[in-house]
Amino acid sequence: MVGTGAGPFSYAPAIALFPLAAFVISLVFGRQLPKKGAIPGIFATAASLLFSLWMFATVAGGETYHETLYEWSAGAVTTEVGAEEIAFSFGLLIDPLSALMLVIVSLVAFLVHVFSLGYMNDEGETGLPRYYASLGLFTFSMLAFVYADNLLMAFMFFELVGLCSYLLIGFWFRTKSAPSAAKKAFLVTRFGDYFFLIGVVAIASTFGTVAFAGEESFVVAAETAIEDGTTLFGFDAQTWVTITGLLVLGGVIGKSAQFPLHTWLPDAMEGPTTVSALIHAATMVAAGVYLVARMFGYYALSPTALSIIAFVGGFTALFAATMGVVKDDIKQVLAYSTISQYGYMMLGMGVGGYVAGVFHLMNHAFFKALLFLGSGAVIVLMHHEQDMWKMGGLKDKAPITYYTFLAGALALAGIVPFSGFWSKDEVLFDALIVGLEEPVILAAYAMGLLAVFFTGFYTFRMVFLTFHGEPRTETAEDPHGVGWSIKAPLVVLGLLAALVGFVNLAPIAKVAGMDITFLEYWLDGEYGYVEGLTYHHYHEMVAFEEGYIGSETTTMLLSAGLSLGLALAGAFAAHTLYNVPEPKRHTTKLGGAYTVLRNNYYQDEYQVWLAEGLTLPLARTADLFDRSVIDGAVDGVSGASLFGSSWVKRIQTGLVTNYAALIVAGFIALLLGLGLYGGWF
Amino acid sequence: MTVAVEYYVLLSMAVFCIGLMGVLTRRNALLFLMSVELMLNAANINLIAFAFYHGNLTGQVFALFTMALAAAEVAVGLGIILVLYRNFRDVDVTVPTTMRW
Repeated sequence: MVGTGAGPFSYAPAIALFPLAAFVISLVFGRQLPKKGAIPGIFATAASLLFSLWMFATVAGGETYHETLYEWSAGAVTTEVGAEEIAFSFGLLIDPLSALMLVIVSLVAFLVHVFSLGYMNDEGETGLPRYYASLGLFTFSMLAFVYADNLLMAFMFFELVGLCSYLLIGFWFRTKSAPSAAKKAFLVTRFGDYFFLIGVVAIASTFGTVAFAGEESFVVAAETAIEDGTTLFGFDAQTWVTITGLLVLGGVIGKSAQFPLHTWLPDAMEGPTTVSALIHAATMVAAGVYLVARMFGYYALSPTALSIIAFVGGFTALFAATMGVVKDDIKQVLAYSTISQYGYMMLGMGVGGYVAGVFHLMNHAFFKALLFLGSGAVIVLMHHEQDMWKMGGLKDKAPITYYTFLAGALALAGIVPFSGFWSKDEVLFDALIVGLEEPVILAAYAMGLLAVFFTGFYTFRMVFLTFHGEPRTETAEDPHGVGWSIKAPLVVLGLLAALVGFVNLAPIAKVAGMDITFLEYWLDGEYGYVEGLTYHHYHEMVAFEEGYIGSETTTMLLSAGLSLGLALAGAFAAHTLYNVPEPKRHTTKLGGAYTVLRNNYYQDEYQVWLAEGLTLPLARTADLFDRSVIDGAVDGVSGASLFGSSWVKRIQTGLVTNYAALIVAGFIALLLGLGLYGGWF
Repeated sequence: MTVAVEYYVLLSMAVFCIGLMGVLTRRNALLFLMSVELMLNAANINLIAFAFYHGNLTGQVFALFTMALAAAEVAVGLGIILVLYRNFRDVDVTVPTTMRW
């Protein structure tokens, strides 16, 4: 049911163009406007939200949209599969997945704009027009990325998102740390995007198309190539799909902060907290996982690529969760939790749990935006203090912040019935059933499961240290008040974090036999769908075997019980250690492990070592080669001719007689030569 | 009575060689000009002789062109010699040797 250009979808481009307009307005007129550019941003994102909801309702009504809007380059090529022409275009693809994501992104962006009134304007920050302009551009890039209908357009906006994150992380550019963090974020994600770019070129030159959907898509072309047993660039078709898929995955790993390219994300906390909320919940970091979901059909063709995604995801989930345990800065804890949660999404995607991955992406967007905005509220309360050891006892002084933050924390830790529980449980269940047949996935599952305990622990350590116990500083005893613009977004997101999990109650559906897994139906095309982009189709393509312990219901209950038990155990451990009037640091008991964790497993150190110890000498050698061999050859040629001419020039004496003699001698020599050659003598 | 073409060729060769020797051995710029004039006229002799021999007027017309050219050349040459004299107080071509690297 691919609709034509008629109806509501002809307004779809406006979703992204509103924030772009806000960007221009804030940039040009920001200084003159009241609130320094916040108003256009709020109106633009509100309009985007309304239009997104309209698109969502239209898709729910059974229509989808796939249309090329502008073709900017087309030409003849010879590709590996025999396609003879290629076109690069801008186009829109609005299917259930992108419609859902549009709503999430525009909602979070809208709330972040509103929150910024309280967090940036009321705190008297300078440079606000620049801030709101960057936010607008950021929202525009992400929305355009979400409904891109081809890989190249997606890549362009993916890059633009990276640029905006650079601008916003480095917002306080007069400090020492913010510009360096911005540079780091840009360079690390750029490193991943480099592989993405190669992947785009590889896919285009193999299949002659970069479209995500339809008969002409590279997914269909790859499927055909595998069925026909075509050899692509000297590889078996499936191997080549794995290689190109992994190249694109490089961009995903960079943007979604997966191991080993996660190091930029904790540093990105240098930006304003609102920006952290936007980056972590809906825009930049979500872009990576969304890309995997967008081209899931392609990854589904390659079990190897899927296993790698799952393993990287599971490993990152555990790895980041352990680091979150020892942090003192409230935003740092949340940063590591973000890395860890995106690990879960990758795990879900990697085991073929497309619905589970998207479900967790959605829930995470809401509860992580909530937690970041909540921590922003705490930072305002504490007069810009971020160290949790200087807080305490904020529970009674800021009840709205406390209860909404608590809702987010319960969702993050995965406590029933908050949203995070349902999606995390589904991810782990999908990983378990595949893991029972595939040992690699089982290892990934085990790491993911273990991470649940750490998640529960660090989340509640953060809650208890911040809000419970006695105030540990004077600021905590007498916090700064927060206005409606801070409270309203928190309440909206708090309700969402608590309730949004009910859209896909898979365990209850299984046990009670009810049809209440709405998100699965949504992604499966029960409402509107684009051919080949449904969960059903993906599920058939994924080649993993599934195993059960006893029956499917038993396995599901076991998995849910296990993850809930571990989350509660983590929360209880945090309760015992930190929910006391005068909490103590227990980290020293970890001994050597504490030093390792505190230093983030020396990830930064080894990456710096890679740059300074490996890349720098290599670059120096290349420079030496350039200067000696290449420059030497060029200089040698000019040197030889200089030397030669320094001798030859001596025949130019300045005496006319000599020249005449030379001319005559030359003429005679020419005559003699021609005569000898022509046989006159 | 007609003269055989070989004699014309011999004459022109002799005049040309005299001109060439003048260019190679003389130092006076005016004598240079004269020698060049001799060489040009040697060519003229050849042109007219062969035109006559072939019964074709083209060569004679070319000889007229060469004369005009020679006149122009002399004008330029004399101009150079005047400047030479003004700068060096001499018309010896071996004196100005600075026009080189």
